[in-house]
Amino acid sequence: MIQLYRVTKNYEGVPALREVSFTMAKGEFAFLTGPSGAGKSTLLKILFCAEHADEGRIILQGMNTFRLKSSTIPYLRRNMGFVFQDYKLLPHKTISENIALALKVVGTPFGDIERRVFQVLKKVGMENKRHLTPPKLSGGEQQKVAVARALVNEPQVLLADEPTGNLDPQSAQEVFRLFRDINMKGTTVLVATHDWETVRKMQRRIITMERGRVVDDGSPDPRIPLPLKPHAGAAGTKPVEEAP
Amino acid sequence: MKGYGLFYFVAEAFRGLRANSLVNLLAVSTISMAMMIVGFFLIVFLNLQTAVDALGDRFEMSVYLKDGLTGHEKDFLLHRIQLEPGVKKVTALSRAEALLLFKKELKGQEALIQGLGENPLPDSFEVVLDSRSVDTERLEALARKFSGYRGVEDVSYGKEGAKLLSGFYKVVTYGGMALAVLLGVTVVFIISNSVRLALYSRGQEIELMQWIGATRGFIQGPFLIEGMMLSMLGSALAVGVLAVVYYTLPQEVVLFLSRPNGLDFLPLSVVAYMIIGGGLLGLAGGLVSVGRFLE
Repeated sequence: MIQLYRVTKNYEGVPALREVSFTMAKGEFAFLTGPSGAGKSTLLKILFCAEHADEGRIILQGMNTFRLKSSTIPYLRRNMGFVFQDYKLLPHKTISENIALALKVVGTPFGDIERRVFQVLKKVGMENKRHLTPPKLSGGEQQKVAVARALVNEPQVLLADEPTGNLDPQSAQEVFRLFRDINMKGTTVLVATHDWETVRKMQRRIITMERGRVVDDGSPDPRIPLPLKPHAGAAGTKPVEEAP
Repeated sequence: MKGYGLFYFVAEAFRGLRANSLVNLLAVSTISMAMMIVGFFLIVFLNLQTAVDALGDRFEMSVYLKDGLTGHEKDFLLHRIQLEPGVKKVTALSRAEALLLFKKELKGQEALIQGLGENPLPDSFEVVLDSRSVDTERLEALARKFSGYRGVEDVSYGKEGAKLLSGFYKVVTYGGMALAVLLGVTVVFIISNSVRLALYSRGQEIELMQWIGATRGFIQGPFLIEGMMLSMLGSALAVGVLAVVYYTLPQEVVLFLSRPNGLDFLPLSVVAYMIIGGGLLGLAGGLVSVGRFLE
């Protein structure tokens, strides 16, 4: 589903990603962790074709996206959902209209839009607030709407960049529960987060990054409790060796 | 894009116009100012052209005929001259009529021609030319051509006047064209900046649409239509303001400004061209700014 091989990215000579390689199978769930500036957001942006890698190979849903033509990018994105830390909801549109926009851009027939918006809002438990505008919702509720928008086109891959960064612990739990439910229905989910507490609880694959490199990648052993703070090898796996 | 065509784009464009009414009002005002300048110069240019045309219409070439031509020969010659491109009107003038005219012109000095026994003036044709043909080279060629016709004695025309008129016509035509290009570019620039203002106010929405898989065409469509509508509205407003100014000007000013019958307002066809042209310039301006914005 997702394959990265020696992906490198520099910003004006400053390395943001250094030979990052990993693979995610269809239906897998993984956390991308690491300190600020580790390259998590850059990696997600490259996966979402918002940035170009300088070197390496990226295979997404069977398509090599390295140096993809800009006219092809929208069609690739339609099979992917993206959840942002700042929700990116349009404040002057109602919740329903925000989600309907994602259906409109892919050419969904007008007659189907209302039904599908209602269905996806029901899935995240926000159907009763569909006529409100985002500023009238709490942060957690806004993020649920953003997740609903990312899901409405039934993407095969869901990427999330610090989705709970602005949320209280309870709202964060609800959002992560949503991700787990989505994943259980077969969607591949990759979440970049600092929320180590949730990462510990969810016991899923953890890809740890530091200074642009993947330093640890593996699924924790449920019999061994994870440490209270993240570090290389925290997932209970052997740290990835640095390339020379 | 099943189900989404021009109707959706137009509806979205109207929504955008309503949602950003203040920015759009500013855009319409700016476009309207630019189009008002275009309209003002069009009024000046068209009236100047009419004035030059009127001067050209007064320009005549005299074709003098040989004595002894039959009526049939004269008719044939007149028909031949009439068929010449650039010839607007040909009037036959008999020698008697020519003498009468001459006498009229010499009013008070008739004594000058009293000494003449027989009428010395020949039969002639007075040829009125299309103002666009009042060009020294073309006139010379025509005069040479007419002189070569059987039965023509001589051809005369005011060379100096023709030279002056032809120069004036060229200045008006080429000057007008240069001005039109300059104003066209200015209008595209103003419109593209106005559309860009509207774009910036909706930057968040455009960015989001890109993130959720909207194609360039899907994003561009409503903005192009919006740019076109803003420009057409601005152009219509400009014509309206010019019309109000024109029709409220005191008649004395209108008469003073131009030809004996006064300054004309823009013909309806030109008004239509201005509004449609404004719309197309808006489309061009929209393309320029949306293209840059999406890059």
